[in-house]
Amino acid sequence: MNNPAGGKVGGKKTANALKEEVQRLRDENVRYARYIREKTNQLLEVMGTLPLRPEEFDDRELLTLDPIGIIAGSFEQVFEYLNETISDLSQARDELQAIFDATGVGISIIDQDFTIVKCNEKQRELLVDKQLDNVCGSYCYEVYCLKNGPGLDCPAVDTFATGRPVVVSEVRKKDKYFQLVTTPYAKDANGQVTRVIEVALDITARKKAEEEEQRQRGYYLAEKSKLASVLQSLSEGLLVTDSRNRIISVNGAALQILDLSQKQVQELRINELFAECPAEAMTIFDVDTPQACQNVEIPHRYQDRELLLSVNSVPLFDGDNNLIGRVFTFRDITEEKHRQEVLHRTEKLAAVGQLSAGIAHELNTPLGSILGYARLLLKNNQLSTQQKDRLHVIAEQAKKSSEIIQGLLKFARTTEPTGQPVSVCDATAVIGETLKILTAEFESRGIEIRTDFIPDADATIDEKKLEQILLNILLNSIQALQKGGSILVTTQTSGNRLQLTITDTGPGIPPEILPRIFDPFFTTKEVGEGTGLGLSICSGIINEYDGSIDVFSEPGKGASFTITLPMEQTE
Amino acid sequence: MSDVQKIELDILGQVCPACLLVVLREMNTHRQRIKNGETQLIIKTDHRDTTRTIPESARKMGYDVKVRNLETYYEITIGKNE
Repeated sequence: MNNPAGGKVGGKKTANALKEEVQRLRDENVRYARYIREKTNQLLEVMGTLPLRPEEFDDRELLTLDPIGIIAGSFEQVFEYLNETISDLSQARDELQAIFDATGVGISIIDQDFTIVKCNEKQRELLVDKQLDNVCGSYCYEVYCLKNGPGLDCPAVDTFATGRPVVVSEVRKKDKYFQLVTTPYAKDANGQVTRVIEVALDITARKKAEEEEQRQRGYYLAEKSKLASVLQSLSEGLLVTDSRNRIISVNGAALQILDLSQKQVQELRINELFAECPAEAMTIFDVDTPQACQNVEIPHRYQDRELLLSVNSVPLFDGDNNLIGRVFTFRDITEEKHRQEVLHRTEKLAAVGQLSAGIAHELNTPLGSILGYARLLLKNNQLSTQQKDRLHVIAEQAKKSSEIIQGLLKFARTTEPTGQPVSVCDATAVIGETLKILTAEFESRGIEIRTDFIPDADATIDEKKLEQILLNILLNSIQALQKGGSILVTTQTSGNRLQLTITDTGPGIPPEILPRIFDPFFTTKEVGEGTGLGLSICSGIINEYDGSIDVFSEPGKGASFTITLPMEQTE
Repeated sequence: MSDVQKIELDILGQVCPACLLVVLREMNTHRQRIKNGETQLIIKTDHRDTTRTIPESARKMGYDVKVRNLETYYEITIGKNE
């Protein structure tokens, strides 16, 4: 650098000034470099690493490397990542809040003092009074349970005490039912739970459904019991079978009618129980028969009892209209059937009686003439012996015919209403008299007579008529016995009726003719030996006195006739 | 991902903080590609401290970091793992 005005001195000065300037600049450079080194070290410390060592980079290398620029670039990346993370977190928080509020269960965070730290929308909806804007900071027991302190059933109390989750399966709050779960959420340095999360699941609907189910069950049980009472009180027997014909239910009347125990009945199938069912009626037991069967008559034999049952059967369907069994109802019609038969017999007798009366009346006069003239002719001495014999036959046969006519007339009279006052007789005395009449007959045939009487056996019947009946039956017995054997005559009471039973040890009555022995003109005797009217007349008389006559006989084991008569006069 | 660019930085023999500064500079240079998963930095170092400082810094920037201890050196991988 030249200074034309200053010359050498001026040049020296300038050189010195420049030297000073260079030194100043050098010093400044050193200061700046130190500053940069210090700041770089400060930044490196922030980055978690060691400070720069002077031997590592000299000042020039340091400036070339530009550590501050590098670290600034790194910070930019760190901030960028932080901002992204903050944004993600914020979004996650919003999502979490949305889930917290949208979840179907009520959630609260409660601290040790039982103050509500946080509660979601569902919890507000379930348990918070709508007028309350903010519940955070309020006591949970006041807001949720309307109490002055935590209740005994509060699970949060337990979780704070034990540090464990607690489940309460059912708790009632504000007319609703909840299932509650509390879980520890935050703990202090000593491990003591400081906050719990309480989750409330509204189970009101389920609880109501359970109550409804309970109510329906009660109703169902009451109805079932009612139905059972109805079935038990039925006078008809009732049986229910399943799809395999097994008897699954039976009422008291059924057991009574069948004289079986519940166990006995339930061990049987229905077709085994009614084994005597006629083949053509067997469809009644077919579980696939969709229609009802009515009034099927089935004989039922069990031990020594023989009954006639009238059975109805209807199919049983389940809710889907599938056949699942049948219901059988039945009643004992043995007695009813017997009464029907008696009535039928009585009607038949009445008809025959009317007819007989007419015929008898018409025949009586001509027969009287035949007999009269035959007897008149017999007085004529001019007739030969042969002629007289023939006239005897005519008179004899006419007399026999007349007797038949008399029998018919008697029979006809018995079937007509008499209207005469009903008399009472001492049956024991009448039996005694009748047996006395037949004593000679019994002795000649060697027939033993045995009796067994009750005292005071008063029967409502005319004594002559009773004698006629007894004679008729006893003569039949004698005829059946021929020689030897015995006849037992007994009296006994059945209710307010007297039963007279005459039992012989004869050959008995064949079963095929047993139902016909009371029919008029039915006889097993040779033609001309019997009229076939004896027993029908007896039956007619007995009916007239509101009594009944029954016969029991087994071939080879004799026959037994039982006459049942009222003991007292009926109004 | 076979088309990922792999940049190897051999800083064997170098110690902190020089190692860190070198790696930070490379991370600044390739930041966008590393972020997109297009580039991986593979650093070879034998300075133990570096295996702490580099991963710490890289993770603060949101990068995946993997450190492997090989026989004579450490290998630090920065960038999305395959």
